[in-house]
Amino acid sequence: MTTQPHSKKRVCYYYDSDIGNYYYGQGHPMKPHRIRMTHNLLLNYGLYRKMEIYRPHKATADEMTKFHSDDYVRFLRSIRPDNMSEYNKQMQRFNVGEDCPVFDGLYEFCQLSSGGSVAAAVKLNKQASEICINWGGGLHHAKKSEASGFCYVNDIVLGILELLKYHQRVLYIDIDVHHGDGVEEAFYTTDRVMTVSFHKYGEYFPGTGDLRDIGAGKGKYYAVNIPLRDGMDDESYESIFVPIISKVMETFQPSAVVLQCGADSLTGDRLGCFNLTVRGHGKCVEFVKKYGLPFLMVGGGGYTIRNVSRCWTYETSVALGTEIANELPYNDYFEYFGPDFKLHISPSNMANQNTPEYLEKIKTRLFENLRMLPHAPGVQVQAIPEDAVNDSEDEEEKANPDERLNQASLDKRIAPENEYSDSEEEGEGGRRDQRSFKGRKRPRLDKLEPKTEKQDGDEKGKTEEVTKMDTKAEIEKDDKSGIAEDLKKESNLNP
Amino acid sequence: MVLADRNSETVRNGRRSRGPSPNGHASDSSSEEEAEEKIRVGRDYQAVVPELIPAPDRRPEQCAERALLVWSPTAEIPDYKLDEYISLAKEKYGYNGEQALGMLFWHKHDLERAILDLANFTPFPDEWTVEDKVLFEQAFQFHGKSFHRIRQMLPDKSIASLVKYYYSWKKTRSRTSLMDRQARKLAIHREEGSEGGSELGSNTDSDSDEKKWTIHRGIRRKSGSPPRPAQNNEEGAAPKDGGAEGGKSSCANCGVACTHTHATPKGSMCNTCYQHWRRTGSVRPTTGPVKRDRHCHTLLRHKRKPPRGMYINHDDLVTMASTTSASAPGAQGEQMLKAMDREIVSLKRLVQNNKQTLSSYKRKTAEGIEEFRPQDSNARINARWTNDELLLAVQGVRKYGKDFKAIAEVLGTKTEAHVRSFFVNYRRRYNLDAVLKEFEAENGPIVETDEKEEKMETDGVSSGSEASTPTPSASSPVTVGSGANAPNAKQGFPKAPVGPGQAAK
Repeated sequence: MTTQPHSKKRVCYYYDSDIGNYYYGQGHPMKPHRIRMTHNLLLNYGLYRKMEIYRPHKATADEMTKFHSDDYVRFLRSIRPDNMSEYNKQMQRFNVGEDCPVFDGLYEFCQLSSGGSVAAAVKLNKQASEICINWGGGLHHAKKSEASGFCYVNDIVLGILELLKYHQRVLYIDIDVHHGDGVEEAFYTTDRVMTVSFHKYGEYFPGTGDLRDIGAGKGKYYAVNIPLRDGMDDESYESIFVPIISKVMETFQPSAVVLQCGADSLTGDRLGCFNLTVRGHGKCVEFVKKYGLPFLMVGGGGYTIRNVSRCWTYETSVALGTEIANELPYNDYFEYFGPDFKLHISPSNMANQNTPEYLEKIKTRLFENLRMLPHAPGVQVQAIPEDAVNDSEDEEEKANPDERLNQASLDKRIAPENEYSDSEEEGEGGRRDQRSFKGRKRPRLDKLEPKTEKQDGDEKGKTEEVTKMDTKAEIEKDDKSGIAEDLKKESNLNP
Repeated sequence: MVLADRNSETVRNGRRSRGPSPNGHASDSSSEEEAEEKIRVGRDYQAVVPELIPAPDRRPEQCAERALLVWSPTAEIPDYKLDEYISLAKEKYGYNGEQALGMLFWHKHDLERAILDLANFTPFPDEWTVEDKVLFEQAFQFHGKSFHRIRQMLPDKSIASLVKYYYSWKKTRSRTSLMDRQARKLAIHREEGSEGGSELGSNTDSDSDEKKWTIHRGIRRKSGSPPRPAQNNEEGAAPKDGGAEGGKSSCANCGVACTHTHATPKGSMCNTCYQHWRRTGSVRPTTGPVKRDRHCHTLLRHKRKPPRGMYINHDDLVTMASTTSASAPGAQGEQMLKAMDREIVSLKRLVQNNKQTLSSYKRKTAEGIEEFRPQDSNARINARWTNDELLLAVQGVRKYGKDFKAIAEVLGTKTEAHVRSFFVNYRRRYNLDAVLKEFEAENGPIVETDEKEEKMETDGVSSGSEASTPTPSASSPVTVGSGANAPNAKQGFPKAPVGPGQAAK
C-alpha cells in the first residue's frame, strides 16, 4: 500500500455548541467541556476557517438501535436524575449509576456525540470529504446493551456500520490508554472490520485486550491487541505503532480508517499512565493520514482537560496539514493553559516499563497472527439492501416540556442561511418540494427532524432568549425568506 | 462462549479503582484477568454488519447530510482580511469569532455585505446579571459543583447555562488567585527578611494589610516613593518620601494617582480632595482599610507600590463612585468595567499574536540562510572575480553598504577581505560611492568603524566640530581606510552616536 506525501485535505469538522454544557457530576473525571475548549482553541488558531464546520443533528433512537438493543436505548431515553429511583433494576442491568452516572441531558449528550460520528461517516461515504473529525465522539467502551467506562452509546460502532455500507473493509485504530473493548466486541466475529487497540494492560480498566484475544469465528485474526505497560513514551510508541499499522494496512487493505484519538495516553493524564507528548500522539494521526484513505477521527478519553484540548487542536492541524505556533492564541479559556501558555507539553521523567525487547516480542507475535490473514479478503456480492436511511420518524423530537433549549432546535428556527450548501438534496426534490409548497418558515433539516407547526409556534415564543446569531436569523427569517429561496435555486445550478 | 454473568462490580469500579499500577506484569496478571473480563460472543454482543452496497446501486446523493453546514472555507478572502474582519466584529460589535464567520457565511463570503450587516445584530447581552453572578458564587460555596442544588437557588437558569457559566467563571477565579499568589509571594518575600531593600518591602506587620489588599482586588494607593530599604523603617524614611512625592502626580491627601493636581497649602491634591477642601475648608476624610491620621508615617504605611504598570485612574474612580449612587445604579460604572475588560482581552490577544509572530521569526532565523544559498556555494573561495560575482558584489554594496562580511556571505566564494579589496579596487570603476549613497538614502548614514577612522573621528569631534548631526554630506559620504582622504571625510561626516539605521558592524 502506498503512502502519500503530506498533503492538504478537505476536512469536515462536527461540533455542537451544546456539548460542552453537559456535566457528568461532581468529581467525575469525564468533562465534555474539554470539547468546547478544543473548539475554542481551534477557532482562535484560525483552523476553524480552514474546515467545513457542521453542526450534527441528534442521532435518533432508530439510528442508535442499528447497534444497541432496543431495551437499552429506550432506557437511556427515559432515565433522568429525577426518576432514577424507578429504574433501579434496569440501572444495574445496564451498568448505569456509578462510573456511568445519570446526569441532566444524558440522552441528548449521547445523541450529539453519536450524531456527529454518523454524519461524519455519511460524509465520507459520499466522498465529499477526505477527513472528518468529531471530537465529541470516540466513546469506545459502550456495549450493545450496557454502558461502561463513561460511555453510553458507542458512536464509533455506529459510524463504522455506516461506513460498511460503502466499504468492504474498515480499519479501526484505538490509541486511547484504555482498551477499545466496546468496538472490539461489536466486531469480534466479522472479517470486515479489523480493530487495532494500543492500550495499557494489566490491572487496568477495562481488563480486556490481551495479546491473545484475536477475534472469533470469521473474525479470527481481525482483532489486534497491543498490551502495553506504564510509561510509554513517544519513541517507543512510534516504534510499535508504525510497524504494526504498516503491516495491518498491507495485509488487511482497508478502504476506510477510523482513528480513536483518546487523549488519556498523554503524559500527566488524570487517569492514564503513559508518557506521550502531544507531538507523539499526533504522530499517529500523521502516519495514518499518509495512507490517504477516507479517514474518520474521533475523540475519546482524556481527563486532564487542558492537555486534551491541546492534543486535539494539534491533531486537527495535522489533519489540515497546517503548522500552528507553539504559543497559544488568546482564547476564552486561556487561563486554563497557564503558566506557560504553550501548545506542546513535555514528558515527565517517569520510568518506561516497556523495554525494547518486550515491544519486539509483542510485535513478532502480532506479525505471526497477521500472516494468518488471507491476503485482502475478497468482495462478496450480496442482495442489495435499501440505500442509506432517511430516518424521517423521530419521536424523541416531540418536545419534552422541560427540555433544554438546545442549539440544534434553536437553529432550526433560523432562516436557511446555508440552504444552498447541501444542494444534493434539493435537486432530487423531496425536501425542498415539501417545503416550498407549504411556504414554511423553517425550511432547513425538516426532512431529517420533522416537527409539527405547533412546535414552531411554541419555540417562537422562546426566541427572546435566543443567543445572538439565532436572534439575527430569526429577524431575517421574515424578510429574507425570499432571498433564501433564490439562494437555493442558485445552488442548484452550481453545486 | 458467553459470559453472561459478569462481575459488574469490578466493571463499574474498574476505571477508577484500578489506577495505574506500577507493576506491569501484563502476561502474568492476564490469567486472573481473563476470568472476569472477556470479550463476549453472541447475538447479544456483536453488531449486525450491514451488507456492502454494490457500486452501481449506491445513491450517495440521496443520503441525508444529517448535519448542518455552518461554515465552509473560502479561498477568495485572504487570511489577513479575514483577520481584520473578525477583529472588527469582535472589538466593535462584540461578536465572537464563530459568530463573525457565521455572518460572513450567511452572506456567501461577501465580506462587504457582512461588514455592513454586522451593526444590525448586536450579540445578545450577557444574560447573567450581577445578582445572578453573586448568587451563583454563594450557591457554589454552599453546594460545590452540584449544579442541581445550585439551580435551586437560581431556578431560572438551566443546568446547561450553569455549567457553561461555571467554566468561564472558574478561570476568573484563578485570575483572582493569581493576584493572591502575587500577594502571598510578596508577603513571603518580606518575611524572609528582604532587608537588602526590596522594592516592595516596607514594614513587617503588613500581613494583615496584604490581605485587605487582596480583598480590594489590588486597588492600592500609589505613592511615588522610590524604593527604600526596609530596615530603615518608616520613621526614618518618611520625611524623605513625603518630600519626594509631594509635587508629583498623586494626591497628598488620599494618595491616589491622578492627572491633575491642585496646589493647596496642605499639599497638592486631586480634584476631589481639592473641591472638598475648597468648600469645607477642611481636609477631605479619606476612607481606606485603616483610618488615616495626619501623621506622615502612618500615611506611608499604606503606600506601597502596586505591581508594575498598575495604577489607579482617579477620574475613573470618580465615575464609578458617582454613578453607583445615581438612579441607574452602577450602569455606567459597569459599562466602563466592561469596556476595560474588552480592552484587556484584545490586548492579551495582541500579546499572544505577537508571541506567535516572534517565535515564527525566531524559527526562521534559526534556520539561517543556508537554504537560500545557491547550490554551488561550496565552490572554493577564489580570489578571482568573475563577472557575475562583480555584479553581485555591487548589488551587495547597494544592499548592505559597507558590511563586507554580509556581502561575502552572500557571495559565498569570497572572504570578507576579498570584498574589502574589491571595494577599494573597483570603487571608481563601478562608481561605488554613488551606490553607497543610494544605500544611505535608504538606511541612513554609514558609521565608520575602521580603527584608523575611529581615531581620526574622535580627534575631529574633540576639536569641536558639529558633533551629533549625522547629515550625509554630498561630497564624500564615507571613506575606506585609505588614510589620505580620511580626515576630509570626517569633517563632512561626523560619527553619529546613535545613527538611525546604521550599517551593520
